[in-house]
Amino acid sequence: MIGQIIKKQFLLLWRSPVELLLLLALPVVLIVILGSALGNFMDGDSPGMHAKVAMIEHSSEREQFEKFKRDFETDLGLTEDTVANIEKRLPIQTLKTIFHTKEISKMMELEEISVEEKSKILQEDTYTAVIEVPEDFSYQYLSYILLDRKQAPQLQLYENEEKQLSAGAIQSIIKSFQQQLTLESLLEEKGMDQNEAALSTISVEGQQKNLEQSKPITAKEYYTVGMAVMNALFVASTIGLIAFREKQSFVFARIILANMSKWTYFTGVLCSAVIFSLIQLFVIYGFAWLIFDVSWDDLTAFILITIAFSISVGGITVLLTAISYRMHSETVTNLFSSVIVSILALVGGSFFPIGENVQVIELIGNFTPNGSGMSAYLAILRGESIGKIGNHILFLSVFGFAMIMIAAMTFPKRGRMV
Amino acid sequence: MLELVNISKKFKQTYAVKNMNMFMERGEIVGLLGPNGAGKSTAISIMSSLVEPTAGEVYFDNRSILKNPTSFRKVAGIVPQEIALYEDLTAEENLRFFGRIYQIKGKQLQKRIEDVLQIIGLADRKKEVVKTYSGGMKRRLNIGVALLHEPELLIMDEPTVGIDAQSRKYILETVKQLNKEMNVTILYTSHYMEEVEYLCNRIYIMDKGNLIAAGTKEEINRILSGEKSIVIKASHLTNPFIYELKTYPLVNSVDVMDKQITVMVSKEVNLFKDLIAMADEANIELISVNIKTPTLEDVFLHLTGRALRD
Ligand SMILES: Nc1ncnc2c1ncn2[C@@H]1O[C@H](COP(=O)(O)OP(=O)(O)O)[C@@H](O)[C@H]1O
Ligand SMILES: [Mg+2]
Repeated sequence: MIGQIIKKQFLLLWRSPVELLLLLALPVVLIVILGSALGNFMDGDSPGMHAKVAMIEHSSEREQFEKFKRDFETDLGLTEDTVANIEKRLPIQTLKTIFHTKEISKMMELEEISVEEKSKILQEDTYTAVIEVPEDFSYQYLSYILLDRKQAPQLQLYENEEKQLSAGAIQSIIKSFQQQLTLESLLEEKGMDQNEAALSTISVEGQQKNLEQSKPITAKEYYTVGMAVMNALFVASTIGLIAFREKQSFVFARIILANMSKWTYFTGVLCSAVIFSLIQLFVIYGFAWLIFDVSWDDLTAFILITIAFSISVGGITVLLTAISYRMHSETVTNLFSSVIVSILALVGGSFFPIGENVQVIELIGNFTPNGSGMSAYLAILRGESIGKIGNHILFLSVFGFAMIMIAAMTFPKRGRMV
Repeated sequence: MLELVNISKKFKQTYAVKNMNMFMERGEIVGLLGPNGAGKSTAISIMSSLVEPTAGEVYFDNRSILKNPTSFRKVAGIVPQEIALYEDLTAEENLRFFGRIYQIKGKQLQKRIEDVLQIIGLADRKKEVVKTYSGGMKRRLNIGVALLHEPELLIMDEPTVGIDAQSRKYILETVKQLNKEMNVTILYTSHYMEEVEYLCNRIYIMDKGNLIAAGTKEEINRILSGEKSIVIKASHLTNPFIYELKTYPLVNSVDVMDKQITVMVSKEVNLFKDLIAMADEANIELISVNIKTPTLEDVFLHLTGRALRD
């Protein structure tokens, strides 16, 4: 019996090519447009991006410099000029200067954070990256350069795995930092040759949290996911509307009069939405795979998240259906497709990585079904393991079932079928 | 067969149906007549087990359909006032879908679909999508869907609103035929009294949620049997003229609509001469004066002071 409802639902969609086109072809067109128009901004430097970087210093660089001067100034026989030169090019200070240059500061904001706050900020999502400067870093660095110590000190870099898009930018800053740190003039004065100078560049050991094999996301990939999750939401309003019109036209009454349980019907609507959402996602991703080469290395993770996301779409569908049945009006469903989807898509990051700057929005974004689905898809594209997207699968399933429960409770009671 | 006992339905403050009593025997065609908003559709939703009444009971073969709707639904066919069809599907697809919902399968379903298409006269158009149909064809298919499971009882809510005369005639004949040849008991709802008068043995008349008359056609006509109606059309009407008519000793009642006045008088009264005189006196030009034996329309007018059709 449920099968009859589903079959009919598909026949109806098949017979309304405009709706079908909107659901299947529109997202593909949007991916093409957004993916190429915004490709440069996504893949290169981005005017829209604004990342926050935290820096934790375990001790003051100035004090370390003074200490180094006290310990070795006479041993090394450094001239006053040289000391002044070194002082101007202390490594951490140089790094900060880079972050404060005009170009970089447009994209990134460096914040100095006290040591006590370290564990707290590593837990949160506020920062795209955290640079930790170990105790004695500058002292060690000076020793390494000027005393030919074997071991170069290392900076610790924590990258936020959720914010892959800015990661490339930070890496390029670090690169430029390394180049500036050759301390050419300083070394020239000390009489070393340029080859050695190149060797003595600072080594920054980036510790990417759980991110060893991570790949950057391209604009096409980003918008494939963004448009797919956004357009799947329209499945909910489309099928919800079909269901409401069935009530309005008394078709639903007829179904009830044929002794079909309203729960059979309800389940039919739910299953239609889940199945159609699955088909839609597979069509969009299939298309993106063929045209844009957006491929999924971890197919299991991809399928799991697609199913979980479709369940949540099904949940929204039956909730819209139940509310419109209850209110005798399709207002809610229309509001959903005209306004709410756009808000969800924006907050969820379908148009641009909105959550990168504002932590609250990112948090809210991950509590929208499309935002959560999107985060999970992007994580898979970055090459993360299933374990990493487990919380998204859980959230989407719980969200879907919660919607279904609320819908079931809202659905008209017996004796109020028209 | 079907019995409504003291049915009331309240929406917020107002009663859509109030204290309605009604019964139907097997084999009858019963008419439910009333203007728009009278409460006919509400009454039908209740007697077809879709809506629970605020008070009262509905019995089908002496069993409450409110407590046990399943067995009632198996033998009842409901034709809703709305076109309850999928406009994007063909007639055949609609019938197949609803047939499957009624758990009819395979060869039997195919046969029922053919039979129904035959009854409603759409066999040659079965492959066309419903939205290309005329209003009358949609109405016919709307009836057809309710016939799929061969109901014993057919409840029809205004099956002829807004359609051409030809389709209307077809539907009326079909209803008669279903009753005669297949012994289907029918409740026929309408606000066209001539349809009800043509089809039904017994008639209920509803207005503003109340049953205002019930009985056989003859019984109802007898409400006004001692009277006749005079329908006067005039170029214009004046209040003094109407007042004069209303207070005239031999006149039983006066109803004014636009430029038309219906005056009820006893059968033996001859008002013609007096009327002409009164009109002359009031400087009113009479266009026509018709004397008729009362119709259901007049009964309704008499009972409510309003015409059936507005
Ligand atoms: N669901 C409802 N909620 C509120 N009022 C209703 C509802 N259904 C019908 N009514 C009111 O009840 C009255 C009777 O309506 P209805 O049964 O449709 O009359 P009819 O079918 O005779 O035209 C109307 O005044 C209508 O506005
Ligand atoms: Mg009605």
